[in-house]
Amino acid sequence: MVLTWLTTVNLELSFQSVIWGFGDIIDYSKQYLSPNFSEFLKYVKLMGQTLAIALWGTVLSLIVSLILSPLAAKNISPHPIIYQIVRELLNFLRAIPDLVLALIFVSALGLGPLPGLLALGLHTSGFLGKFFAESMERVKPGIYEALKATGASFFQIAMFAAWPSILQEVAGYTLYIFDRNVRVATILGLVGAGGIGLELSATFGFFRYDQASALILIIMITIIVIDYLSIWLRKRIS
Amino acid sequence: MRALTWKWHWPSRNGSLPLSFIILLLTILLMLGSTASLVEVDLVRIFKSTGKLLGFAQQLITIPEWSYLPTLGTKMLETLEIAFLCTTLSLILSLPLGLLAARNSSPHLIVYHISRNLLSLMRALPEIVWALVFVSAVGLGPLPGVMALTFVTTGFMAKIFAESIEVVNSKAIESVAATGSNWLQLVTFAILPEAFPDLISTFFYIIDHNVRAATIIGLVGAGGIGYELVMSLRLFNYSRLMLIMLSIYLIVTILDRLSDQFRKRVI
Repeated sequence: MVLTWLTTVNLELSFQSVIWGFGDIIDYSKQYLSPNFSEFLKYVKLMGQTLAIALWGTVLSLIVSLILSPLAAKNISPHPIIYQIVRELLNFLRAIPDLVLALIFVSALGLGPLPGLLALGLHTSGFLGKFFAESMERVKPGIYEALKATGASFFQIAMFAAWPSILQEVAGYTLYIFDRNVRVATILGLVGAGGIGLELSATFGFFRYDQASALILIIMITIIVIDYLSIWLRKRIS
Repeated sequence: MRALTWKWHWPSRNGSLPLSFIILLLTILLMLGSTASLVEVDLVRIFKSTGKLLGFAQQLITIPEWSYLPTLGTKMLETLEIAFLCTTLSLILSLPLGLLAARNSSPHLIVYHISRNLLSLMRALPEIVWALVFVSAVGLGPLPGVMALTFVTTGFMAKIFAESIEVVNSKAIESVAATGSNWLQLVTFAILPEAFPDLISTFFYIIDHNVRAATIIGLVGAGGIGYELVMSLRLFNYSRLMLIMLSIYLIVTILDRLSDQFRKRVI
């Protein structure tokens, strides 16, 4: 409790300003009540681009993590040093927020959906890599031993024992990450990395709150639909 | 020699990949192919830009701007405070909302449905979008950031509360109620012990998520280190940028390790 109070003071938060300015806030919120769908087709196309970025990003992260995760699984990694290095790499990819990575890629590759997709894919491969590696570690050791006994190489163990054993979890995690990626992809445009975010930031910049609310509605509906889809698909899989 | 005679034998019925898997693969490839132009996937461009990326990385390895450390410390602290404050605030706010949104404790079915949907809406948008809304409403600074993060976290927490209230063993409630306890004792002794491990897990997940979100919302002016980050990038101030990125990485990693340790001890 004390911490909370201290924090509030430190941040110089002024809740009074919220109360005093309440009338302004009401006026401001009223502008949202009449969403302006005049550029609906453009928004839909941008939303489609956003979804495509999410799709490509998820596929990219799937590929990268499927390659890296056997190396990061303690029981099948060829060497403990490799295990540590790959684990740290995955942690590094997870720690840097995707927007930050996207900012960097936009500086390097220019504007457009491509840097966003790469940033998304790389950041999420950190998540998937860790999830998959942990799944592979949980597989019954007998399966790995059986293959080792026939003299299989690391690559063969990874491909024919590790991946097939965790397929169901792979599907579940991937769907979860795709869901998350759709949300992040809507924001990537804020830094110029493609999708509907750029339009959103522009409408706020021009104080066009009616258009902003239309965009927000479209984004909300898309995310909710994708949420339901992924929950339904995950139920179908398990 | 063995590699030359090695065949692809999967753990399925006839040794080859199952049909459903192949169909799935083809569908995904089709979706990728049709959207390639939409996302401007251009391998040539990627190859050309790796040079630029490496150049960028090279520039990043400069002498860090040590004089920036105090400001950095303040900003990181601000970021953490935002994350902490909104987690505590949403804890408080989500208790009543969770009660309303749980089928067995909600006063009326309509209230239950309304609150459930409201909570979904609160959760649907990414935090930064709400941060944009609140920044336009109340101005720059950490206040809109706290509001936005609290908004989203409350939506999430209230749903978790509601779900854990719904699955509580009614027998446990009955037995505690039979001893003549009031409502608070009921909650403490019947509901909380069952829900506790889940709540701890969720708490750590939320803190981790909120710290990450707090580092980003600064980008739109809602306080914290995000603003410094984007400014130093735009001004090509690489010595500062490296420090900021390092500190973000450190904080997130430390939090991650801490929560792992905690979880191992508690669960």
